[in-house]
Amino acid sequence: MAANIALELTQHLHARHLYPSTAWMQNFLSTTRPNTPLPALKQTVGFRLLASDITTSLNPPATSLFPEDILRGTVQCRIVSGPVVCQILDIEDIGNSRWSQVEAIEAKERGEMTKGREIVRVVEQENDDPSAATAPIHSRGPFKLLLQDAKGVKIYALDVRGIEGLNTNMTMGVKLSLRNVDVRRAVVMLEPGNVQILGGKLEAFDKAWKEGRKERLMNAANSGGGIAG
Amino acid sequence: MTRVLCVAEKPSIAKAVANHLGGQARAENVNGIGWVKNYKFDFRFQQWGQCSVTFTCVAGHIVTHDFHERFRKWHSCQPAALFEAPIQSSIAEDKKLVAKNIESQARYASILFIWTDCDREGEHIGTEVRDIALKVNPNMQVYRARFSNIERAHVIQASQHPIRLDEAQANAVAARMELDLRLGAAFTRMQTMALQNMIPTQGDERGKVISYGSCQFPTLGFVVDRYLRVRNFVPEAFWYIRVAHTKDKIDVKFNWRRGHLFDRMAVIIILEKCFLAKTAKVIKMAKKPTKKWKPLPLTTVELQKNGSRFLRITSQEVMKIAEDLYTKGWISYPRTETDQFDKGMDLRALVARQTQDNAWGQFAQSLMDGGFRQPRDGRNNDKAHPPIHPVNYVASTQLNQNEKRVYEFVVRRFLACCSEDAVGEATDIEIDYAAEIFHAHGLTVIARNYLDVYPYDKWVSSQELPQYTVGEVFEPTEANMHDGQTSAPNYLTEPELIALMDANGIGTDATMAEHIAKVQEREYVIARPRAGGAVVIADNGADRGRGRGRGGARGGRGGRGGAAQNGGGGNTGGVQEFIPTTLGVALIEGYDNVGIDTSLGKPFLRKEMEVQMKAICEGRSTRHDVVQQNLEQYRAVFNRTAQQINVLKSAIRKYVLGEANQG
Repeated sequence: MAANIALELTQHLHARHLYPSTAWMQNFLSTTRPNTPLPALKQTVGFRLLASDITTSLNPPATSLFPEDILRGTVQCRIVSGPVVCQILDIEDIGNSRWSQVEAIEAKERGEMTKGREIVRVVEQENDDPSAATAPIHSRGPFKLLLQDAKGVKIYALDVRGIEGLNTNMTMGVKLSLRNVDVRRAVVMLEPGNVQILGGKLEAFDKAWKEGRKERLMNAANSGGGIAG
Repeated sequence: MTRVLCVAEKPSIAKAVANHLGGQARAENVNGIGWVKNYKFDFRFQQWGQCSVTFTCVAGHIVTHDFHERFRKWHSCQPAALFEAPIQSSIAEDKKLVAKNIESQARYASILFIWTDCDREGEHIGTEVRDIALKVNPNMQVYRARFSNIERAHVIQASQHPIRLDEAQANAVAARMELDLRLGAAFTRMQTMALQNMIPTQGDERGKVISYGSCQFPTLGFVVDRYLRVRNFVPEAFWYIRVAHTKDKIDVKFNWRRGHLFDRMAVIIILEKCFLAKTAKVIKMAKKPTKKWKPLPLTTVELQKNGSRFLRITSQEVMKIAEDLYTKGWISYPRTETDQFDKGMDLRALVARQTQDNAWGQFAQSLMDGGFRQPRDGRNNDKAHPPIHPVNYVASTQLNQNEKRVYEFVVRRFLACCSEDAVGEATDIEIDYAAEIFHAHGLTVIARNYLDVYPYDKWVSSQELPQYTVGEVFEPTEANMHDGQTSAPNYLTEPELIALMDANGIGTDATMAEHIAKVQEREYVIARPRAGGAVVIADNGADRGRGRGRGGARGGRGGRGGAAQNGGGGNTGGVQEFIPTTLGVALIEGYDNVGIDTSLGKPFLRKEMEVQMKAICEGRSTRHDVVQQNLEQYRAVFNRTAQQINVLKSAIRKYVLGEANQG
């Protein structure tokens, strides 16, 4: 019986190109109650897998990983057909200076927003998702992301087209599925048609990332100051 | 014969109006005050018949308000007591004779006709005059004249259509005065007593009063905010791609839609994509008529902003000059929020008066010869005054240097308003190059129209662009990566500060200039001419950096004509910029640290007060409610500040005494 359930769940996940490791699957099954109906289990397993660190929870076939030589910068361009599942470890807005982002964060900390020349107080509504109340218009980027596949390979990606859902307010650890992506000089070019946002998160990582964002931006601005390159 | 007593707000108006109504009116001296004259004449008012008129004046407010004796001395009470200490009003010491003159004239008159300026302050001064007059002659009928310039026909028209004093406006002023007195005194005493000893003095100099004003502090706040942004700024490198193509022997430069990016690697990858794509495709080729809109009718705030931007005259100075031009009858009342002309106004007649001028007369004539167009309507109408416009022609030889320039600006602006938009043709070309968009924009000016009389606006043709067709594919002659660096914002200039105050409801158009002067007088802010020319983003700036404005500029940059001191090149060169003193920075940071959401350095509290003043004027609120509500709010800030006075003290230590390693 248990084996059946495991099989059903594995098939369900494979259909979404998620290949959980045996260890993770066993661990998952050990935490479920015996009488949970299958549809609910399917939901839970997907949810938990997306909330996990894929470098330990997934064990996919080579086709669902970045090719081994993916970081070779001499390759001008190649197509990786995938689908490769990866998690987002960092996102940077490269359309705005880091310092202007620091200033925006500080204005938000003060609870201020500017509307033209007018300074507006942003009143946080209680019982309301604070991020929804204070999230003004997102920057349109473009964005530079750091992605990681199940084997732990880290690679930069560029979103120059403005993919819905990718921005600096998003949760770190969100899982993406990439299909037929163009990789240029070891950088993945994200296009609306080849990226599927699966969702999920890495909770502790995200929290630390958000808390450290302003400081990272300040450091980056300071070190990158002057004319680089 | 009915006796009418007319009272204007200042001597010049009394004189001008009296002469319009009475011809050569007989001027009688008033005992003890040389500058007040009583003009006597007979005049036929349509509503009261032939009357014997005495036309006199006051000089601004006559009544002062102060705390009861017991609270007046600094150490006589806790500063907090001033939130409710009784206030007494009395005739100001230096206005006693003015008041006495009104009293003695009122005894013989049966009608009081008030000619104070038609704005909130004027309305309040009107009630002061009325109260003095009614005390000696309770049976007087009281009217006021509605006028916005002292041109003859307009004045006579106003004299025949008296209206009533607007109590609501007077009440708004009364509320503002009470709040200014209480808040100013309470906070000034509190912060002075707490901080004065910490501020170093020179020689025998007594400790300075650290004055507070509910408009001054937000004004200072804007200056400090910008100053800190400039000081904290970190320059960053950026990169961008520029594409060039030569067609029909014209070198066309295409700019990247993305502007620039802050990641070199990303730009290199995109550039390489472009190289691989080899060809670009034209996706847009549009030529369309375009216009540069003529300016809106002139308001006070615009006059002040443009005065410092184009004439290099401070806002306070501009207002003083405009005031003089008004009292001499050359321009209309210079305090107005209205940027739309009443449809009934005979603007052509005003244009016609300008045809005799050597500089702009010809342009005015062309308007008379069929070029006249009704001005655009802005969105503001204070229902009291028309936009600022020239009333009569005055030859420039009769004016001093600055009067001449302000008058010229007002006239040119007015003629521009009555002219036509400038017309041109805009060409926009967009190309798709490896899915990246690049564009070129061209402008051909076809008819300058209003620009001919309004040199303050610039609109010039660019290089001509060749003809492309949509779908056309070509190989760019060049695609290159360039780099640059972000540069710090500039310190706040006066036009910017006025715009900020305006947008955030700090002060009224009539008082902004005073607040700006006040923060300088208090030594919270210093003004200095901006060094160096306009700041541009350098394509490959050597070492431009934080030093700008310090020594850097003095060296003269890039051989662009030596001394950068007053570099007349750009629009902003030579304009004044504001820098806070260490005390100014300390006060703002101190109050911000006490509580950011109600900080006195932020505009929020004061803006709310200003909104409530309007509510009184419109009958939606009362003086009493507004005063109580504001006192309550500010009292909360007061208490919090008193409790956390150490926060203010440490800001003083940090900035004024330089105890932290900050500059």
